[in-house]
Amino acid sequence: MKHLNLIVIVAWVSLAIQAQTNVAPSPGSTTGAATSLSTTPAVRRAPTRIDSDSLDFDKTAHQMVYRGHVMVDDPQMKLTCALLTTDLPESGGRPSRIDAETNVVIDFFDDKGQPNHATSDRAIYVFNVQNGVTNETITFTGNARIENAQGTLTGEPIYWDRANNHLHADNENMVFRQNLTSVMANTNPPAAEATNLPPGTNAVIDRNTNSPAGADF
Amino acid sequence: MSIPANITWMMAAAGAGLLLTSAPGLRAQQDIVNRASNFTTIEYYGGTNQLQMKSRLSGAEALPQPGGLLIIKQLKLETFYPNGGPEIVVTAPECLYDPMGGTASSAGPLQVQTGDGKFRIEGEGFLWRQTNSFLTISNHVQSAGESGATIGTKP
Repeated sequence: MKHLNLIVIVAWVSLAIQAQTNVAPSPGSTTGAATSLSTTPAVRRAPTRIDSDSLDFDKTAHQMVYRGHVMVDDPQMKLTCALLTTDLPESGGRPSRIDAETNVVIDFFDDKGQPNHATSDRAIYVFNVQNGVTNETITFTGNARIENAQGTLTGEPIYWDRANNHLHADNENMVFRQNLTSVMANTNPPAAEATNLPPGTNAVIDRNTNSPAGADF
Repeated sequence: MSIPANITWMMAAAGAGLLLTSAPGLRAQQDIVNRASNFTTIEYYGGTNQLQMKSRLSGAEALPQPGGLLIIKQLKLETFYPNGGPEIVVTAPECLYDPMGGTASSAGPLQVQTGDGKFRIEGEGFLWRQTNSFLTISNHVQSAGESGATIGTKP
């Protein structure tokens, strides 16, 4: 049991770190908004595309607002939503806030080529530097869910602290998939635990974990 | 009729002609078929940056229309940062320009490019409101940006 939980925790930490690498806003990227959830490797890469039904560019308010069928197509991620608002800091630098709203879907690949799928009603990216400390977070709210081959995390909300490679969820519900073949091939079997469950019950597969307060992964 | 205080109008004509009378306040020349060429109108920042251009709207031709409107051919709209650096450049085959209302609009295509040329937007149908520097692209927005483009940031 403890062994299995460890596998799950490692899997999610891995997801967070890999996703951080691949689903993060690019410094200085314009598409800021849209691309804010995309990556900027050091090497030159294909352009990021952002399509939508309409666009408002408000020079006075320093905002770009993409409306209707918003699609962000980046070499390492795809995002769709109905409304994408980017705050463009007057003083320069990367977008300070990017707000994706309504049916937000983000698909991205980690550096191992593993697909990850995030959905929520809203995803808010915030970046700022205070007293020399960089704060960079993505907050998923409203039916927030992040899924990959290891399992599915839901929460309200799910916080992704990109600056510290940390994933945190309040009211989380974690469902993980376990591939028995891979587990058996790559790990030693866990020590048998004392249980009151009847013989033949598998207490570790497809287990749901619920905790009342926030949980860290 | 009055003109917004921080907007200065400039027009130049390629050929000799008459003063444009359809838009009071404008200083321009036009040929005998009511076509002004090399149309340019400039909006300046206020306050301490009053000599700094905020936006410049220009066109190869300006065709006066009823109500003081102008059809601008080969539109080029440029916006600038307070320090003078280029922000965005909007181009379109033509648009309808309202000098008094400070708007430019078209149902046709347009292209937008950031000052550094790294981010481009295409779409169909637009409205530019000069007074509050607000650009709406109405349909089929397609944009592409290179890594490191700097829209909305200092040049």
